[in-house]
Amino acid sequence: MTDAQTPAGLLIDRVSKDLGGRTIVSDMQLEVHAGELTCLLGPSGCGKTTTLRMIGGFLQPDAGAILIDGSDISRLPPEKRPTAMVFQNYALWPHMTVFKNVSFGLRLRKLPKAEIRERVENVLELVGLTHHIHSYPARISGGEQQRVALARALVLEPKVLLLDEPLSNLDAKLRVRVREDIREIQQRIGITTIFVTHDQDEALSLSDRIAVMSGGRVEQYADPRTLYRHPATHFVASFVGAMNFYTGTLGGDGFRLAGGAQVPVDSLSSRTPGEYEIGVRPEDVTVSSNGDGGAEASVVREIQRGHYKELVLDVGGDEMRAFVAPDLPAVDRLRVRFSRGVLYRDGVLQEQSESPVAVR
Amino acid sequence: MSAIEQQGVALGGLEQAELPVARPTRRRMPTPRAAVLRGLGFVFVVALLVFMVGPLVWLAVRAFSGIWQYPRFWPSHWTLQWWRTVFDDKSLGRSMKLSFEFAPVVTVASAAICLPAAYAFSRFNFPGRRVLLVSLFATNAFPKIGLYISMAGVFYSLNLMGTFLGVVIVQLIGTIVFMTWIPTAAFSAIPRSLEEAARDVGAGPLRVFFRVTFPLAAPGIFVAMILSFLAAFDEAQGTFLVGIPNYITMPTEMYTLVLNYPEQAAAVFSILLAIPSVVLMSLARKHVMGGKLAEGFQIR
Amino acid sequence: MVLPPVAVVAVFIGFPVGAAIAYTLGRAGGPNSTVALLAQRQHIVHHGVTTAAYREVLGNPHVRADLWATVWVTLVTIVVVVLLSWAIGLYLRLSDTRISRIVSALSVIPLFIPVVIASYAILTFYASQGFIKTLAYHLGWHSFPTLGYTLTAVAIGEIWVNVPFGVLMMSSGLNSVPNALIEAARDSGASLPRTVRSVLLPMNVIPTVIVATFTGIYVLGSFTVPYLTGPSAPNLMGVSMANFFSAFNQPQQAEVMAMIVFVLAVGIGTIYVWANVRASKRASITS
Ligand SMILES: Nc1ncnc2c1ncn2[C@@H]1O[C@H](COP(=O)(O)OP(=O)(O)OP(=O)(O)O)[C@@H](O)[C@H]1O
Ligand SMILES: [Mg+2]
Repeated sequence: MTDAQTPAGLLIDRVSKDLGGRTIVSDMQLEVHAGELTCLLGPSGCGKTTTLRMIGGFLQPDAGAILIDGSDISRLPPEKRPTAMVFQNYALWPHMTVFKNVSFGLRLRKLPKAEIRERVENVLELVGLTHHIHSYPARISGGEQQRVALARALVLEPKVLLLDEPLSNLDAKLRVRVREDIREIQQRIGITTIFVTHDQDEALSLSDRIAVMSGGRVEQYADPRTLYRHPATHFVASFVGAMNFYTGTLGGDGFRLAGGAQVPVDSLSSRTPGEYEIGVRPEDVTVSSNGDGGAEASVVREIQRGHYKELVLDVGGDEMRAFVAPDLPAVDRLRVRFSRGVLYRDGVLQEQSESPVAVR
Repeated sequence: MSAIEQQGVALGGLEQAELPVARPTRRRMPTPRAAVLRGLGFVFVVALLVFMVGPLVWLAVRAFSGIWQYPRFWPSHWTLQWWRTVFDDKSLGRSMKLSFEFAPVVTVASAAICLPAAYAFSRFNFPGRRVLLVSLFATNAFPKIGLYISMAGVFYSLNLMGTFLGVVIVQLIGTIVFMTWIPTAAFSAIPRSLEEAARDVGAGPLRVFFRVTFPLAAPGIFVAMILSFLAAFDEAQGTFLVGIPNYITMPTEMYTLVLNYPEQAAAVFSILLAIPSVVLMSLARKHVMGGKLAEGFQIR
Repeated sequence: MVLPPVAVVAVFIGFPVGAAIAYTLGRAGGPNSTVALLAQRQHIVHHGVTTAAYREVLGNPHVRADLWATVWVTLVTIVVVVLLSWAIGLYLRLSDTRISRIVSALSVIPLFIPVVIASYAILTFYASQGFIKTLAYHLGWHSFPTLGYTLTAVAIGEIWVNVPFGVLMMSSGLNSVPNALIEAARDSGASLPRTVRSVLLPMNVIPTVIVATFTGIYVLGSFTVPYLTGPSAPNLMGVSMANFFSAFNQPQQAEVMAMIVFVLAVGIGTIYVWANVRASKRASITS
């Protein structure tokens, strides 16, 4: 992954950081291409904010370097870095109007008044807030504040845009709309962006690539599809999307679960027989009511999810979740097979093919 | 912003500034500018030390000095004789006892009068609320001497001159502002939802006050009481005007002492007089530094 | 519930102040009769009011000198206390080291010391044989002026006494500015001084006003510090008020001086009230 030849928007090169006697980020390696949007995704406390603050210059790495466009910026103070940050709680200055907030950085750069005005108006138009140009932050809604914070960061035309869970304070509907706005704006101006979130939905629908973090390390760095279809580790597989996990044995005619049931598998990451842990997405569990092979299953519960139905099944003593069409008639007994499965040994993906799966 | 940062912000007090803003210069080689800044900082700290502590040390040394000739930095001869002089003086002992009688009485009286008002100021938004809060402030704005002179007239007609009650009232006047403002802020800082939650689980209003509201406001009230105690303890002029000749407290005695006794005796007396303040303020230190005092002065 | 303190203030402050106003305007009856009984050089009228006492006091060059001394010391103290509190408050806000903890402890020491003692200590420290003179002597500066019993000593004393309040107020204000607001400014390209000017300063107008006004009001009405450390004349109004009352037996003149100081203090207090009202108006709109 660390190919210094590719023109890097941002390179985090073996960065470590200790805080309060604990290692928060350890030996982190991440390369973000120019114009790419990368999500840092991970559970609370895994070091996402710490990483972002090191890029922004609010923390100094203990080891390693951070490079933007090939030049090392890790010793520069925040005001000298070509980065702009959107803070989690927006951090709009309450004593300045929207215009003052957005134009602050431009005024520092001593640009002519007319140019400042024009650039602020342009960026406010971009985020759709021209009508609030003279409002104080406390007088506009949370979603609007969020967009002001974005405008304040964008107006400086930074090389790298940093966003720390910028949507966490918004309601579900607004969150979806604003994240689409962000994506659209980001793609329009092609700005290299790091987006921190612990919402996997957000990460999957927004990013070019996602770095899944756990305990200060990057578990996997890949595009959303790869991440979903080929989770490199057990942690990634369970953190991103729903997944059924079973330990058992892979043989010639399918996968034998610990409970004894033998489930046929159509496609697998590896065909080498042996002991494994298998991960199967609920949508990859196919059910049929007639007996064309497949393991016997009894339906424990049905949950209506709107555009699909979730079945909780009992397969020879093991619980299994399956997503099926919402209009599937209710039955007590079914047969199941896996249309697709991924195999793990010691928590690491076992793969035979040349599938594009990434680090660690 | 992570949870920790938010905490650091919310606590907001002198001692809780635990998360300083990143200073990226720290790890770089010390530039000449940084060295100069560091030097200036050092000079500033030393100057502050001399300015703040110097006079106290200088005075404290005096209490143990026998012969001390200018321009020497310390005495050539040390003695404890001045401590004996002070302890042998009967009137000084009496004034100490009096001081310790008045201050607690004043503090309790002031709390009894002001705390209910503080609660009302914080919880009920009645008309004229802010005007009243601010008008208490007038007690600070009118010079004390002028007040005492004309108060004397009122005291004569109420027969309060030279009485215990008279002295208590004079000292009480100086405590009302703290005793109202600081607890008002302390009560206001308690979210009403905490009280409502207690009502919700079945506690009556009195129980809510004593089990929820009061414990939460206690640090602020504590600071106010300590400040009141010290204000009463240190009050000299009013006590002098009203109390004379029956009630002479320590600070009142201090004025005469400074004029009539050798410097060393005054130094000894100063140390004695400072002890209660130092002890009490040390107890309240955490809350005073934590912003309880400062909050009281922002009227909402 | 608010009645008791208001009643106490009304009876023991409001009423006497009212009486004092009447007395300064020449009315010696009622509550003023006892004081007026033995007083000298009174200006009394039985109907209406007279400003004779004010004219006499303001016409007195000594009093005018005292008034200027008071104003001068008050202004100097306000300026120094505000600057010191800002410097210390900023230092504490932006750094958390052993030294900053020492500074924070140093700056609140005066809270622990009764004013009488502080004044006395400061007097001896700056007196003709005090530490500062001794230090200057050893540094070869033999003609260093004696500060004890001068207005400079008074100002030093007032600053010493008022620094803790200023520092507590300013650090409380500065600490309530979220880190993110400071970092956002740095992120936009502002240097630390610029961040202070554009973010911390405008967000801390109220604490600054509070420090300035309370310091000013404290100095205007103070007695102990100028009495113990100041010159015999001109000294602050608090001292000369007491002199007019007890040494010259002229309570009416003393009350007139008290009124003058009161007017100045109320003037300063108005700024405080105005700032607070403005702030809470703004807060009520925003929340
Ligand atoms: N200044 C500090 N001193 C000590 N520990 C710290 C400090 N800052 C952060 N930490 C610790 O580092 C860990 C990672 O913090 P960080 O803020 O990077 O997590 P995060 O991944 O952003 O989590 P969240 O999703 O909850 O925001 C946490 O366990 C936190 O307690
Ligand atoms: Mg975070």
